[in-house]
Amino acid sequence: MTAAGIVGTVAGLIIVLGVALVLTRSIGRSILLVAAQSILAGIAAIAVGISLGQWPIVLGGVLAIVFKGLVAPVFLRSMLGSTTVAVERHPYIGTRLSLVAAIAIVFVAASATSDIGVSGAPGVARVLPAAIAQVLTGLLLVMTRRKVMSLLVGILVFENGIALTAFALTYGMPLVVELGIAFDLLVAVAVGWVYTRQMVAVLGTASTDSLRSLRG
Amino acid sequence: MTDQFVTFAVLVLFALPVIGGIIAWFAPVHRAGAVAGGSIVVASGFGLALAFPALLGTRVSGLGGLVFVDALGGLIVVIVVAVGLIAILGTPAHLEHALEDGTPSERDPARLWALMAWFVGGLLAVPLLDNLGLIWVAIEWTTVVSALLVGITRTPAAIEAAWKYLILGSVGVGFALLGTLLAYASSVDLLGETSDALAWTRLLSIAPGLDPALVRLAFVFALVGYGTKAGLAPFHTWLPDAHSQAPSPVSATLSGATLAVSLYALARFQQVAAGTLGPDLPSGLLVAVGLLSLAVAVPFIVAQGDLKRLLAYSSIEHLGICALALGFGGPLALAGLALHLLAHGLTKASLFLSAGGLVASGRSRRIARLGGGLSADPADGRAFLVGSVLLSGLPPSALFVSEIAIVFGGFQRGWGVAAGVAAVLLAAAAAGMLFHVARVVFGSPSRPPTVAGLRVRHLLAIGVPLALTVLLGIWAPAGLTDTFDRVARVLGGAGG
Repeated sequence: MTAAGIVGTVAGLIIVLGVALVLTRSIGRSILLVAAQSILAGIAAIAVGISLGQWPIVLGGVLAIVFKGLVAPVFLRSMLGSTTVAVERHPYIGTRLSLVAAIAIVFVAASATSDIGVSGAPGVARVLPAAIAQVLTGLLLVMTRRKVMSLLVGILVFENGIALTAFALTYGMPLVVELGIAFDLLVAVAVGWVYTRQMVAVLGTASTDSLRSLRG
Repeated sequence: MTDQFVTFAVLVLFALPVIGGIIAWFAPVHRAGAVAGGSIVVASGFGLALAFPALLGTRVSGLGGLVFVDALGGLIVVIVVAVGLIAILGTPAHLEHALEDGTPSERDPARLWALMAWFVGGLLAVPLLDNLGLIWVAIEWTTVVSALLVGITRTPAAIEAAWKYLILGSVGVGFALLGTLLAYASSVDLLGETSDALAWTRLLSIAPGLDPALVRLAFVFALVGYGTKAGLAPFHTWLPDAHSQAPSPVSATLSGATLAVSLYALARFQQVAAGTLGPDLPSGLLVAVGLLSLAVAVPFIVAQGDLKRLLAYSSIEHLGICALALGFGGPLALAGLALHLLAHGLTKASLFLSAGGLVASGRSRRIARLGGGLSADPADGRAFLVGSVLLSGLPPSALFVSEIAIVFGGFQRGWGVAAGVAAVLLAAAAAGMLFHVARVVFGSPSRPPTVAGLRVRHLLAIGVPLALTVLLGIWAPAGLTDTFDRVARVLGGAGG
């Protein structure tokens, strides 16, 4: 399989996984889905990096697989074990509307990226619609979910989408910047973990429904 | 200034707050302040050593092109240093109040100090970096660290505020990352895949040749992202919660320094965008966002019932004025912007500390329950009264000068309607602010005062910034006005 073929397949799979993310109510499953998306994006980067002989791109892909595909999801899974909430029971929008939103996202992403020219990469441009769809999926999750764990998953999807956009446009940022971004993301997830535990300890729940006291 | 000194200064400045914070985290509680505070003071010293030549007209660069300081960067360093020092001086008094109320953990003071060192260290790094990617990394770092600070008291309200700040801040800053990589992509055709394609100095020098479609998107995303961090409406919803729930020294830093640093990052994008697209689109968007911020903040100031939220909405108002000035452009409004950022940082930091004192002695945040501040807590009451008058832009405040400059600058540049509306909103905000302040400081206390002995450090932290704001308002030697003009030239895209 050529690098371009791998990239195209990855783009399609990421879009399918994104739709599944919007539809699933199980937080455990959504963590698995975002891990799968991260690993796929890493594989695409490695394939392109090898075909171009660009080792920084390969390294970026390996980093994505290790940190976003393995470390962050394992971390989130262990957090999930320490809260009692495993299912997003009542998101702000129901299943049918979620499906409509997911399909709308795919179309918006495809049409919004149709006139952006990307210079000479083997099939990398094909990732751009998938990347934008991932950004929008993350935003949708953050806006429509109530459980704090779901919000963290949403942020991770959003950040993955941004990283994939970076890959599609420029093969990724310079390594020092990529490292800084990965570090910040890990710290942000860790801080989210701290506050999730405190919410459970102080408020007795890991749902944002309890966070409605500050107004005006 | 030699390359070796720049390299040394920058490395010390980056590393010391990190190390100081780590040591303070594990240090005995009574030593944590000296370690963390000391590391910030030394780092600040190196920051000023890099900033002053830049402010006087000699740009500083080094560390293989990663560091570049012009007059604008120098001004932001000065603001971060000033606000950081005010916050450090005010922290011991805050901790005393907090201990009286009983903190959840006896390790909390050490953690507060450690996080403050990391927070201020991150803020100091931003204006020195000549790399939009690393600027993003530093700003996101300040977001996650300050999210921990906002919720450090672990009350339900503080946890709620910190959670909103973390989620909205991360998503917002995510947009800024998208903007950053679009700016990078816009230059790849010209520069190739090199890391200096993220250097804003490089982008600025080749701005006319960048891909306009990508630059337009990049600016819009940067406006949403850094606009969120700068508390500009409609991306401001996290700000009143975070700034009011945080411990007072943290509120002071969030409001006085973080907002200025975020606006700085946005200004760098605006310069590049204006170079590629011409000034119309960036200016129009900034003026719209600025006016909206004023319009959103003013009703909440007038109808406010919570003392710290009053100050938080006032920050949205003032950053709105700054966005307007950036949008107006022109030497007068931009020099006004430079003075405004500095004077707002000084007064707002002082006000959050004196408000913290009033809240502690009155045992409430509700304005209705706080009357008689001048007799219950004379030092904080006086500082709060004077600070609010200065913040409202009445003479002899430097904010009077800067607001006049910005509004007149707007008229000069053909933004008459926007400048006129802004002037009316500013007057309304000042009236609302002073009405609430009068309720807080005058009258007789509703309950017996419980003032702890005030420390000299606290008095310095609330008094000196106000004296400086007055001084900046009435005293303008040629060296100082030259410096503000230099910053204005950088903001206008002409370099300085």
